[in-house]
Amino acid sequence: MASIDLEKMLAKVKASQWALADIDWDAPGAELVTEEQWPKLKAFMADLMWIEHVGARGFAAMARKAPNDTLKEIYTYFHAEEQRHANAEMALMKRWGMLDGDRVPEPNKNLRLVIQWLDRYSDDMPLEVLGSVIPMLEIALDGALCTFLLDTVDDPVCHQAFARINDDESRHLGVGFHVLEMQGHGDLYMKVLKTLGTILDPRLILGIASYAPLLNRMRDNVIAMGLGEERLYAAMKKFERIGGRTADGRRNPWYQIISRHGRIVVNRRQRFYHGPVDAMVRLTDLIPDRVMPSRVPTWVKGITYKPVV
Amino acid sequence: MSETDESRITTNEAPAATPPKATARKAAPGKRAVKKAAPKKTAAKKAASKKTASKKAPRKAATRKPAAKPASVLIVGAGFAGLGMAIRLKKAGIDDFVILERGDDVGGTWRDNTYPGAACDIPSNLYSFSFAPNPNWSHSYSGGAEILDYIHYLVSAFGLREHIRFQHNVTALDFDARRGLWTAELEGREPLRARAAVMAQGPLSNARFPDIDGVEDYQGKKIHSARWDHDYDFTGKRVAVIGTGASAVQIIPELVEKVRSLKVFQRTPAWVIPRPDFRTPDWNKTLFRALPASQRAVREALYWTHETMAMAVIWNSPLTRLAERLARRHLRRQVTDDWMRRQLTPDFRIGCKRVLVSNDYYPALRKDNTQLITWPIAKFSENGIRTADGVEHELDCVVFATGFDVPKSGTPFPVRGRAGRELGEEWARGAQAYKSINVAGYPNLFFLFGPNSGPGHNSALVYMEAQLDYALRGVHRLLDDNLKLLDVKPTVQARHNKQLQKRLARTNWNSGCKSWYLTEDGFNATMFPGFATQYRAQMATFEDGDYDSEPR
Repeated sequence: MASIDLEKMLAKVKASQWALADIDWDAPGAELVTEEQWPKLKAFMADLMWIEHVGARGFAAMARKAPNDTLKEIYTYFHAEEQRHANAEMALMKRWGMLDGDRVPEPNKNLRLVIQWLDRYSDDMPLEVLGSVIPMLEIALDGALCTFLLDTVDDPVCHQAFARINDDESRHLGVGFHVLEMQGHGDLYMKVLKTLGTILDPRLILGIASYAPLLNRMRDNVIAMGLGEERLYAAMKKFERIGGRTADGRRNPWYQIISRHGRIVVNRRQRFYHGPVDAMVRLTDLIPDRVMPSRVPTWVKGITYKPVV
Repeated sequence: MSETDESRITTNEAPAATPPKATARKAAPGKRAVKKAAPKKTAAKKAASKKTASKKAPRKAATRKPAAKPASVLIVGAGFAGLGMAIRLKKAGIDDFVILERGDDVGGTWRDNTYPGAACDIPSNLYSFSFAPNPNWSHSYSGGAEILDYIHYLVSAFGLREHIRFQHNVTALDFDARRGLWTAELEGREPLRARAAVMAQGPLSNARFPDIDGVEDYQGKKIHSARWDHDYDFTGKRVAVIGTGASAVQIIPELVEKVRSLKVFQRTPAWVIPRPDFRTPDWNKTLFRALPASQRAVREALYWTHETMAMAVIWNSPLTRLAERLARRHLRRQVTDDWMRRQLTPDFRIGCKRVLVSNDYYPALRKDNTQLITWPIAKFSENGIRTADGVEHELDCVVFATGFDVPKSGTPFPVRGRAGRELGEEWARGAQAYKSINVAGYPNLFFLFGPNSGPGHNSALVYMEAQLDYALRGVHRLLDDNLKLLDVKPTVQARHNKQLQKRLARTNWNSGCKSWYLTEDGFNATMFPGFATQYRAQMATFEDGDYDSEPR
């Protein structure tokens, strides 16, 4: 039912390209960010930018795994588009005077762990895993963080940029759910076996260990900015709703795992989950810099706020 | 009746003039080699004294058309193939042929591709005609300028220039079945007729520009690799190279030395293997000159080395894995950064697309003024290129190393055969021929580098020589038996192609990647699925039973 024509989607993606240069980053309105908002917004934007950037790397891994050329090309574009979002968000930060010179803001430690994990293992992960995690992250961004930003920040340039970003994200989600459904086809038994096989993979366990605290940290950030956490949760429920609207989608074991995990994330009473994960967030903050992975992969440096280079 | 022997007529006979001395000139930049190369007058003069039949006064006008006596053979194109055909005809005593060339010089691909760094991926001792060896190659892999010198040498040594009609652009070929004649329609000139026609227009003769949005909006300099602008000064410029194929990997290392910044836009990385290139020592040249058999032995050795590569490149075998390992090691040695390695690692089997040979491509990408960009290109703007990551790259010059429009379907100009059939229509969904050289319904017409004649692992000239011999046999049959037409039987052609496609299905080319070998529908009309030795065996027999013929 919800199937989309990937060929048409690719054509649409190609036809909907935009560039940083399409936006006037010096237009008036920057002053609409209040002094009170500024420091929290700075932290929030830095995280957001990094999450987009990290999502981009996820798409790069997915392009490698795509079962056909069209999907491969779509993912190649999505990889670039996520980078474009990160670039645009950095441009906003530049506009709001949140950058230290030309320097890219440091990612927080959870992000650094995720970056490290993505860099080392994402290319080895099956499409099923990435294909489920990425829509979850996207929907959290699309549904909660971005709309929230637009509610609290009055700067018209911000609205202009996020209108375009949201437009892209809606296509990413469309394809994301389509793939979830695509993977629901086939022998359930095989899928369960394959899923179990992957779960036991230590590389994935490391991945989970970075992903879970990242979600909780995002929740904390959101609350710090004054957003009701319900907004984030509502968005995560959307994943469950849209992903589960067809039998194929529901049959995808990874959809089941991720959405159940989402349910746990939104339920604060799940102490057995939140206790340790929140502790992990605090713990990661305590990891001394010298034991953090020191080598920064070069793809991390590809980000820029400059419309023209 | 079949014949396998006759063609051996003249192989390895040394030509009249001496082969070109290796020029000290570096491969390509600056002036074209063309002017200087027209050397060695002796042979040319000798040949010029023999007037060809076609130059005699026109026969009594029987038609309203200006009816010069039809030539025996007309050849379209004065590149390696057309000139090779001419040499074989001449040596066989067939002198009344014409070569129609749309440009104003010989050399085809090597006349057009004069970009800096242009060179051949096959060792020169194998990328040359066995019947015209050149002991003076300066390098194991010689540059484009030296190859062009060799071509000019062929022209003068075999006295071909008088046969060539420059600036004769063929716009159509029509077959007159009643008379058994081909007519070549020419742009702005009277048509020309001949009993046999040879299509030697070359598969790589039309430059291809990519279909990117806004390319016409871009105001900066645009250069195609096959139409190089030697007057443009790259010094201090911001330059982009689009494409990372065989031409690009040769251009990039040269450009990077001159430009301020070089941005390389890559869509799909190719497999790159090291090139065992070295300068030919003087004693080697002396040896080849004194003892031609030694050069033949080297050629043989090179031939068989390349034949072995077929096992890696054409079919999926343990050697394929080995070749991939070699290529990966080459990458690992030359590129230290993980992400860049990932960007440069192909995700298809080696051989599926053309394998590149280079020692200096990867190091060039690592230079401080070079940037490898793998984001898709969204569009051109007035000042440069916008990539899908939302960034505009401001540029002074864009180099299109985007290759050629390789005809896999259709023909470069209308070719009309018997009963009004048109080849372009028949080939619309993929070209087909018999043994790559004849097409049923188009008698007396020979294709050089026709459908399914492409090598992926060995010298194109080895394949070409086999085609030249075959075409020569066909022409002989026509002239000696005074035939009006010689037309391959459709059933024979169909059977041949059925087998061919069956064999192609098992090759690496058809293993799932997109390449210029395949049509949009994935039909392989380009490559020959086998060893060069198999191709030569296929071309070595001319079975009369395969053809319908009619006497004049």
